[in-house]
Amino acid sequence: MITFLIGLLLASVLVGCAGPEQAAGPHEGAPEPAAEHIKVAFVTNNASDFWQIAKAGTEKAREELGCEVAFRIPPTGTAQEQQQIVQDLVTLGVAGIAISPKDPENQTAMLNKAAESVKLITQDSDAPNSDRLCYIGTDNYQAGVAAGELLNKTLPNGGKIMLFVGTLDAQNAQDRKKGIEDTLADTNIEIVDTRTDETDRLKAKENAQNALVTHPDLACLVGLWSYNGPAILSGVRASGKLGQVKIVCFDEEDETLQGVKDGHISGTIVQQPFEFGYQSVKLLVALAEGDASQVPENKQIIVPVKTITKENVDAFWARLKEQTGKS
Amino acid sequence: MRKVLGLTALLLGVIIIACSWEYLGTGNVKFLKLENARNLLTWIGLFGILSLGQAFVIITGGIDLSVGSVVALLGILAADLLAKGEGLSPIVVVPLVLTLAAVIGLWHGVLVTKARMQPFVVTLCGLFFYRGIARVVSGDETRGFGGAFPRLGWLANGFLPTEDGLLPVPFVIFGLLAALVAGFLHLTPYGRHLFALGANEEAARFSGVRTQRLKIAAYATCSFITGIGALLIALNINSLGPTNFGSFYELYAIAGVVLGGCSLRGGSGNVLGVIIGAALIRVLTNLVSILEIPSQLEYVVIGGAILFGVLLDEVFTRRAGAAA
Repeated sequence: MITFLIGLLLASVLVGCAGPEQAAGPHEGAPEPAAEHIKVAFVTNNASDFWQIAKAGTEKAREELGCEVAFRIPPTGTAQEQQQIVQDLVTLGVAGIAISPKDPENQTAMLNKAAESVKLITQDSDAPNSDRLCYIGTDNYQAGVAAGELLNKTLPNGGKIMLFVGTLDAQNAQDRKKGIEDTLADTNIEIVDTRTDETDRLKAKENAQNALVTHPDLACLVGLWSYNGPAILSGVRASGKLGQVKIVCFDEEDETLQGVKDGHISGTIVQQPFEFGYQSVKLLVALAEGDASQVPENKQIIVPVKTITKENVDAFWARLKEQTGKS
Repeated sequence: MRKVLGLTALLLGVIIIACSWEYLGTGNVKFLKLENARNLLTWIGLFGILSLGQAFVIITGGIDLSVGSVVALLGILAADLLAKGEGLSPIVVVPLVLTLAAVIGLWHGVLVTKARMQPFVVTLCGLFFYRGIARVVSGDETRGFGGAFPRLGWLANGFLPTEDGLLPVPFVIFGLLAALVAGFLHLTPYGRHLFALGANEEAARFSGVRTQRLKIAAYATCSFITGIGALLIALNINSLGPTNFGSFYELYAIAGVVLGGCSLRGGSGNVLGVIIGAALIRVLTNLVSILEIPSQLEYVVIGGAILFGVLLDEVFTRRAGAAA
């Protein structure tokens, strides 16, 4: 055991110093056909509730198939950490990796290097120019369109809205924004501004409160990232405008769902991270066993988004709790 | 005193220029609206408390880089203890969290004095360490207080004299704390000893000040006050992501103190300056947002303003020195 650990340590040190060229070695010469001995990995892009749900999905697939799953979370969510994690996983000799690349364009080389020695798929966020075998995840443009449609329903008479997001350089933020903009193009709903908070939740709340001061006639605040929903809700509450200003957001943080239930949030567009986890592990194991039949022609498996409003929030929340085992 | 005058002039100058610019552009001044004042004072209160704590350590010539992570750890612990499962009573949790805060500071102080480690190193390790613990404790899941604890929540979200009043409770708490700290630092012998220790530790020790004890107390006080801030900030946000909640807050706290005229070399500074320094940073962030200056420029404005403020301070001090 100790020798193994030292070996592991040495291997990761080697990878760290010598660069990716030497990363592929140790797992050669160990053909293990049965699923019980297949080990696959799931790499997230940060640490959040969202990924805990995906983890529950990987657990379910693990139980069904009897394979092993390494679930890795880059602590501060940087591309550099992801690179190190992927290199270490390759060194460990996993059969396949499902990753949500932080910075797809600049990580393409790293992904291709890994794809040489393991079955590599992307999930949540795609890297279409890399050698990944398949993408499993949301079409964020479609998610934006769904939000746009919900806005149309929420604001039948039009009005001014403002968008809130962590950073605008992330692909999913841009896609969601584009989806909303395109859907609202010919309506009398006007997007007056987009404010960013660099993922600081207090700042996100501050932005919402400031928006209500700057534009007293705002009809709706839209939060594009998961924590923006609770932050906006809290900001609107602090400004004493609950009920006067509508809120539309994304994802399924507890506070968001409670807000939908209480009627303070008009609706939230949710992805299905549980499916990301579940389907990624299943696909990786199939690929490792040499079965590529599940990969569609265009190499994209789109998991549809759902619109959660007051009508279906109870059922959705109950199912979510069942999946994650939270009470 | 001269320093505080310069800083106050800078604060007022920024506000006047921004307001007139806004008035010329749009014909009204949103910055001065009651609603904005209520928001702004809340943030000044929350971040000002962190700066007050930081001032203690900076006056001794030290620094506390762990503030943001301590805020995260204590906030998440409080949420866990209060809201998870059965939940403990706030009467138990609040003293518990504040005691833990003081113990963290005590530990920093002991490492700095008895083990003779550098404050930068001790608290830098703390920055990583407490963040990690916060993530372990919470399993990386977002924490919150739900809708419960109305009275505790009032401390972070309420207003005085009535709910429609101008004064946010966190700002009032900040004011009371500032008065206490100012009284201690400027009116008691302990306060004078702290400045003496910061200016020249050897000299202070030879003149009979128990420097090690005093230093440990300074670190403990810093973390204790940070603990108060952590509880209020956590209750105010009510949605605490373990990976990023509180990150960077130590730098805002330090910026407020430095802008307020405290030297990082220790031994100088005053509480009024810290209050205005901390306020100036919040005013700037607020103005960037209210005037709809692109978000991207925010850090440029803050960085530039701090640099300018400290530079101005240096010029004033030199003039004063030359005149004397």
